[in-house]
Amino acid sequence: MGVLAGNRRKRWRSEPQEVADAKRELQLKLWLLRIGILVAFAVLTGQLARLQLVRGDQYQQRAQFNQLRIEPVIPSRGLIYDRNGIPVVENVPGFSAAIVAADVPKERQLEIVGALERMLGVPALETSLKIDAARASNDPFTPLIIKDGLDRDTAFYMREQLGELPGVQVLVQSVRRYPAGEELAHILGYTGRIDSEEYAELKNSGYINSDYLGKAGVEAAYEEYLRGATGQKEIEKDAIGRELRTLGETPSRPGYDLVLSVDLDLQKKVTELTKAAAGDNQAAVVVMDVHTGEVLSLVSLPQYDDNIFSGKTDEVRLEQYLNDPRKPLVNHALAEQYAPGSIFKQITGSAALEEGVANPSTTITSNGFINVPNQYDPSVIYTFRDWRVLGTLDFYGGVAMSSDVYFYYLSGGYHEYGENFDGLGVERLARYARQFGLGRKTGIDIAGEADGVVPDPAWKEETFPGDIWVLGDTYNMGIGQGFLAVTPLQMARVVTAVANGGTLLTPRVVREVRDSQGHVIVPNEPKIEGSVGISDTNLAIVREAMRQAVQWGSANPAQSSLISIAGKTGTAEFGQRFADGSYETHGWFSGFAPADNPQIAITVFLERGVGATHAAPLASKILEYYLTRQQQRADGASATPSGVTP
Amino acid sequence: MNLRKLPTREFDPLILLTALGLVAYGAALIYSGSLANYGSPSQALSHPVSRQIAFGVIGVLIMLVASRFDYRVLAPLSLSMYVLSLAMLIYVLVAGESEYGSSRWITVAGTQIQPAEIAKVTTVILLAKFLADNEDNIKSARVFATSLAIAAVPAVLVLVEPDLGSSLVFAVLWFAIVVIAGARSLHVGAVLVAAATLAPLAIWQLAHGYQLERFKVWIDPESDPTGAGFNIIQAETSIGSGGFWGKGFTHGTQTQLDYLRTQTTDYVFSVGAEELGFVGAMVLFALFIILLFRCVRVAGRADDAFGRLIAVGVAAFIVFQVFVTIGGNIRLMPVTGVPLPLVSQGGSSLITILAALGILQSILGHRRRRGRA
Repeated sequence: MGVLAGNRRKRWRSEPQEVADAKRELQLKLWLLRIGILVAFAVLTGQLARLQLVRGDQYQQRAQFNQLRIEPVIPSRGLIYDRNGIPVVENVPGFSAAIVAADVPKERQLEIVGALERMLGVPALETSLKIDAARASNDPFTPLIIKDGLDRDTAFYMREQLGELPGVQVLVQSVRRYPAGEELAHILGYTGRIDSEEYAELKNSGYINSDYLGKAGVEAAYEEYLRGATGQKEIEKDAIGRELRTLGETPSRPGYDLVLSVDLDLQKKVTELTKAAAGDNQAAVVVMDVHTGEVLSLVSLPQYDDNIFSGKTDEVRLEQYLNDPRKPLVNHALAEQYAPGSIFKQITGSAALEEGVANPSTTITSNGFINVPNQYDPSVIYTFRDWRVLGTLDFYGGVAMSSDVYFYYLSGGYHEYGENFDGLGVERLARYARQFGLGRKTGIDIAGEADGVVPDPAWKEETFPGDIWVLGDTYNMGIGQGFLAVTPLQMARVVTAVANGGTLLTPRVVREVRDSQGHVIVPNEPKIEGSVGISDTNLAIVREAMRQAVQWGSANPAQSSLISIAGKTGTAEFGQRFADGSYETHGWFSGFAPADNPQIAITVFLERGVGATHAAPLASKILEYYLTRQQQRADGASATPSGVTP
Repeated sequence: MNLRKLPTREFDPLILLTALGLVAYGAALIYSGSLANYGSPSQALSHPVSRQIAFGVIGVLIMLVASRFDYRVLAPLSLSMYVLSLAMLIYVLVAGESEYGSSRWITVAGTQIQPAEIAKVTTVILLAKFLADNEDNIKSARVFATSLAIAAVPAVLVLVEPDLGSSLVFAVLWFAIVVIAGARSLHVGAVLVAAATLAPLAIWQLAHGYQLERFKVWIDPESDPTGAGFNIIQAETSIGSGGFWGKGFTHGTQTQLDYLRTQTTDYVFSVGAEELGFVGAMVLFALFIILLFRCVRVAGRADDAFGRLIAVGVAAFIVFQVFVTIGGNIRLMPVTGVPLPLVSQGGSSLITILAALGILQSILGHRRRRGRA
């Protein structure tokens, strides 16, 4: 050892104390380093123990809440059948792309919205703004619809890509398809995405913000039945929202099915015949069962196709409908009101009989007009015209020939030039009009009805301040002109009441509600609103008068060789007066068949038509079709006798 | 006769075993953390676990080879290695690939290389060499300032990437090395005071929005619970919900349902804490403590200042990185993006640390037995 270490030992010897100090100092520092390491791990252990041991339970709950979500199970919407059991709506799968803002990683947002633009053609900026808005809102977890109505290929392709698109979902929701399309659109209506107001109202009833609900027609009116009961399931989801497994489920109850009172076959026939009669004009036809108020057919022209609202709204066609001046989306049978013209004489006539103003042998002579002097200035004479000189008529003749003079007498009376005939007066006339259901909604199970107008002096004073009710107003009202406004559906109800002996029924397009197993939930029962307040004896006189109108009177074009029809035409003037004193007219017909044992009633309205020339033959063809078809069915089935006359 | 010239050939099996243990621990967590996104590891060689194991094997081979070479050969190479790693850092800044708002990678032969990880080791070696060479002048201001500059250059380069975490790693390893080398307390104190005053200002100025964001959401993750705060909240939930025993390997709901993001890198510790619980974390801590103590032991036994300072630098940056990554996971501090040594997915960090441990083995094994033969 001594031999070997000469040089070094010298150095060691020269600075022994210093080296020893340095060594001690180094060891000290290394011990400090070791302590530093232990302190670092002690700090980490302390915080870890706080999280895992002290507050572990709390975090466990949070982790569970993360992973488990309660999701609504949307029930399948109820189906709808026509009265003969033909399905008129189908549920078909509809695909849409949605995004959950909370599940979109911020740093990948650009990439994701870009991919969506490529796949769906939805502008990236638009999607990005939507995501930002949802992030800023208090509910970033509910899916936002980015695009509706994806075709199957796109939807499947997107599904495969979902792993690359965190936050994106492909929703499969059932959407409605209406095989009959235009022919039932005004009755069935359509469904659409829930809007924010509806959602605010319904979110506690199991609706989700991407839900569909009925927006028009039966779909809207029977929403609570069609919808069914929302179920719940507890599912495990990963961070990008993929469902991994279902842990528990409260099943949903499917929506109830509806059976329409509408007869699809008749509806198609009525559509076909009415289109032929109306040409390009608006028209409405209502056919009702006189005993039950069931609507067998309800047609409004022009029609629209409710399938355009299924899934992705067909904006092009919607735009066409909205720009069409004939308003195809409006149900002219119940949402629009017109002057009824002479079909109102059913009411004036019944009221006059009931009030003793007239009896079947009351005769009045029509010289083609009556003159009434102004009550303040007798030199001013007003002339009220009949549609032609009709001579002396009894009640049957007055109705059959639709004499306006006859009904001027019955409504307003006539006390000039030595005559002294007391009429109903406006108050009684208005009262009976209301008893027949005019001036208010019929209560049919389709939304959007108009009220109509039954005028009286108070109404006129209110509507035209300073204008008082004059005799002429009563005359005009008595023949269904002037301020009176009705919907075709209201008039169908009027003729139904005349035909059934005075019962005012609430019209219905849905006959029965059933559950998915076929149990009846809401049975088929007539809804009676009340009585029109006319004795059946008096209504029988009116019915006979209407039978004669068809047999030999102004409604003769409704005559059928196969069935017996009773009815009343109307040709209502509207709009601006032409230079020759005439007006444009709407054509009406209200009637029922068989005349002696009424089964069904009809009201036809043709815009820019004439009652006798256009409306009456159309009504006749429809009644003929229905009753002969029923007869054939009855013969074919069991040869049960029916009310059809040969 | 020649005995004192011969190396001791000492090899510390504990360093190898703890390193292997940590790599295995990490590979297990990476496996679990990538189940949601990958199939089984046998399906593809590109699977993170296969890659991590491959890098681990390479790293261990490098460690074994390095332990056979005399670490002193590094002394003359240290400056060139340092300059080369600085060049790579600059290249990253100019042409590197960005992810999550910072550029840290270059791709060589299909493999992403993170130069900052390499620079940490080369900086340790150069600092050790320089201070060992100037052992006698260690108290001089010039030597002290030069050592500061050696660490500051890479620190600034990674700071502008921006990678604040790695930048702090350089500061910490420099601090540990100069203190052990025997720098003047006055000098060190002055730098500490200057750093304490300037750091907040400098961070504010240099840090990009992304770093500030990280800081803000660390303070209040609920301010953006679905965005930047999401990871922090979910990591905390993962760790907390693990409890004492954990939810079981590959049974962590947070991890497997992807609530935890970057669960093989930044949040790899959270995976372990959720699935293996407090117990699993304690095992991890024990492995690290043993490894670090063995590194400090190397420093104590090193023949010369060069070896001693290398060992101290390596120990310092490992302990610091462990502290900031785990601290970030358990919300002691903002998440920095620094890998958890030997555990996080990533080849650069894994290989360089295993290589550095190889150098430490070499320091042990190439001591000269003086005065005892």
